[in-house]
Amino acid sequence: MARVLLKNVTKRFGSVVAVDNVTLEVRDKEFMVLLGPSGCGKSTTLRLIAGLETPDEGEIWIGDRIVNEVDPTERNVAMVFQSYALYPHMTVYQNIEFPLKMARVPKHERHRRVIEVARFLGIEDLLNRYPRQLSGGQQQRVALARAIVREPEVFLLDEPLSNLDAKLRIRMRFELRKLLHDELKVTTIYVTHDQVEAMTMADRIAVMNRGRIQQVGSPREVFEKPQNLFVAGFIGVPPMNFLEGTLVEVEGKIKLDLGEYQIEVPSNYWSILKNHVGRTIVMGVRPQDVDISIKPVKGWYKAIIVGYEPLGTETYIHFTIDKKKDYIAIAKDVDTIRLGMEVYWHPNPNRLYFFDKNTGKALY
Amino acid sequence: MNPRVRKRLWVIATYVVLSFFAFIYLVPFIRSFIASFMTWEQASAYPPQWIPNPFTLINYVKLFRLELFPRWILNTAIYAGIIVAGNIVLTSMAGYAFARLSFPGRDALFSALLALLMVPAFITLVPNYIIIYRLGLIDNILGLALLGIANVSSIFLMRQYFLSLPQEVFDAARLDGCGPVKAYFYIALPLAKPALGAVAVYQFLGAWNAFLGPLIFLRSPENFTLPVGLSFAFARTMWTEYTPIIAGSLVAAAPTILLFIVLNKYLIRGIAITAGKG
Repeated sequence: MARVLLKNVTKRFGSVVAVDNVTLEVRDKEFMVLLGPSGCGKSTTLRLIAGLETPDEGEIWIGDRIVNEVDPTERNVAMVFQSYALYPHMTVYQNIEFPLKMARVPKHERHRRVIEVARFLGIEDLLNRYPRQLSGGQQQRVALARAIVREPEVFLLDEPLSNLDAKLRIRMRFELRKLLHDELKVTTIYVTHDQVEAMTMADRIAVMNRGRIQQVGSPREVFEKPQNLFVAGFIGVPPMNFLEGTLVEVEGKIKLDLGEYQIEVPSNYWSILKNHVGRTIVMGVRPQDVDISIKPVKGWYKAIIVGYEPLGTETYIHFTIDKKKDYIAIAKDVDTIRLGMEVYWHPNPNRLYFFDKNTGKALY
Repeated sequence: MNPRVRKRLWVIATYVVLSFFAFIYLVPFIRSFIASFMTWEQASAYPPQWIPNPFTLINYVKLFRLELFPRWILNTAIYAGIIVAGNIVLTSMAGYAFARLSFPGRDALFSALLALLMVPAFITLVPNYIIIYRLGLIDNILGLALLGIANVSSIFLMRQYFLSLPQEVFDAARLDGCGPVKAYFYIALPLAKPALGAVAVYQFLGAWNAFLGPLIFLRSPENFTLPVGLSFAFARTMWTEYTPIIAGSLVAAAPTILLFIVLNKYLIRGIAITAGKG
């Protein structure tokens, strides 16, 4: 078993910096998820760890050695690809056996291990089939089996669920985590752009954007204490609402001036914000923390409904303050909501976030 | 007009056009087949006659009486065999290297190679002759085969095919312990069967029917390939007796026709590969 450490790793493709000075430690037996939008460098990071790419700068450690110059085969890592990358001309048995064969494991030993892994994953009936004869879920299992059979120290998974249908994805999400983390107890690095996958599976999440790590933390931490605007906007469905305005001090109270009206900042944030009075600040509030009322309530703010999306258990309500930007609230009971209706809203005063407009950094 | 009738008419029109061109292409073959049962006098008569009268097997008899006929078939088979084997081994390796390995100057080298396609074969004939002569391989099937052992268009076809295979499969193989050489033998080659089939068929056809090369590089009758041998055997000083040559060509064409029937799936796929990816 092994920890994985990236130290100031940079990878460029021509003039494009795919991975920009990334430092990240993945602890032994940890389930780490690299999360970010497409093109953020998460897959490249994974390929660097696998040895499929070589870093331009920095060190990559697996266990207690630097592997920069170590051949992928010698790194003792296994990878599951988005397309599964099964060998189309080999049966399931041969696919699983292949890495052992390349490692010159004796034949009877190979047979024993293939059967063992196939049983473990419940695919022993499929051993004589070819990949094209398998469903997506079955192919996924075979790809896992091929990775597991080598008993690697580190498991790398590159969006392994994205080719599955929604139902299967939810099941496999649960099973993968159980298998890799609870049963095999292998250090796992899992790349995804799906934050639900990240939140449900990870011990820790590393959020990436534009080749840089934005934040590393437990799912709870990145959700509740985002360190910057990107993380705050990326984590959470629907995304966090951002209200941009100038901080002003009026009659001893701190308010956020949105132009249309001023929103009073709850006093529990004053200590953080008093040094920022006069500056442009972004206030964040999650849709879950916005209350909407059709009747006027004292201290609530006016808004106009511009749309709503009923999802069954809840409804996303889109509203606007200045008719330019719209915000989202989640409401349970919305029978009377109509388009263009004037409503009243207010944010949950204990669940606000403030960010410096210029640096994007969260103010805590 | 109702659409079903229209569709029908369209299909009929397509068939008429296709049949017409198929007929035009088939006429020489049909003519050869008929003429191979005619005497030379009848076959060369004008206007052409279409029914052998008298029906004669004399052309085939002349053909099989030739002492060297089996030898020429053997020579042609050896020549075609070397060409096919050489192309399969060498061009798949070259195509793999161009498609899957990165080395300095790869793309420039590949462009240079492609430029060779623009050079007419006649231009290289003399230099090639000199090279083969210096190697002491004139009048030798091996020397002749050496010239065609790695064909540029085969390399191109193989490269395009290897490029079309998914990168992730090769990445997976890399992690499973395959260096470039193992990946070639265990992954690339087994997956390239359709392209290899196409290369084999094209090269076989080319080698089996080759005339100019064997004519120039081979000297002794016992070393001739079939096409050269036939024209040699029936060429008289003032005229050529074509009917035995026609019979010989038909006999010679038999294996290629058979091959086509067996492998036309690959042949068409080969065309699709070059067309789709070129």
